[in-house]
Amino acid sequence: MHTRLFGTSILALTLASVLSSACTKSGENPGTTGTTGAGVRVSQIDVGRSLAADKTVNANTNSFKPNDTIYASIATEGTAAAPATLKARWTYQDGQVVDESTQMIAPTGNARTEFHISKPDGWPAGKYKLEVFLNGSSAGTKDVEVER
Amino acid sequence: MGIFDRKSDKPPESRPDFSNVRSGGSSTAPAEPQPTGTIGSGRTYVVVKGDSLSKIAKREYGDANKWRAIYEANKDLIKDPDLIYPGQELKVPGA
Repeated sequence: MHTRLFGTSILALTLASVLSSACTKSGENPGTTGTTGAGVRVSQIDVGRSLAADKTVNANTNSFKPNDTIYASIATEGTAAAPATLKARWTYQDGQVVDESTQMIAPTGNARTEFHISKPDGWPAGKYKLEVFLNGSSAGTKDVEVER
Repeated sequence: MGIFDRKSDKPPESRPDFSNVRSGGSSTAPAEPQPTGTIGSGRTYVVVKGDSLSKIAKREYGDANKWRAIYEANKDLIKDPDLIYPGQELKVPGA
């Protein structure tokens, strides 16, 4: 009896899983219509002082000098059927938003997106935080420090 | 002067000014979805979660009712036009 009930449950779960992962011909299924960047995820966030041609940072560091340009390289995986929004928000230790930049991406596999910030009169010493958002949801943070 | 009128001897803390920060960015990914390839006079399309034949037809031809053209070109892959799966590579004839 228990075995039969267990088997029936497994069958029901399997059917539910198959049905939920399949797409439909004409129905508008709100549960599976996440086309905007639905297949994209942030896999890595690096920061450094310079970028390579493939938009990776040349040397990861979280320590910067006041006159450095700070680069963030964000690795994403997956394919986007519609453009996904990648946003980088930099904040200072007192909570001030230093900069916020957004890029639309429609990757078809692994991709790198870079954001960079600079300040002509030099960065105030202190701690900064980079937060990366994918389609409005936080996808990771990175702490950096500017030292005199 | 009352004690409540007394001002602090400390100078007011000045907040750093970030109004002149310059920023930019770029990506190896395109800003718009790209076709995945070309086969004959059409091309291929990789199904993603949430897709349906009519949605793909709407996107590729501007007419959702042309889903049957995609279905006919992919009968070897699609057993039931109501069921397509993420990752399937579909031929989109004449797109």
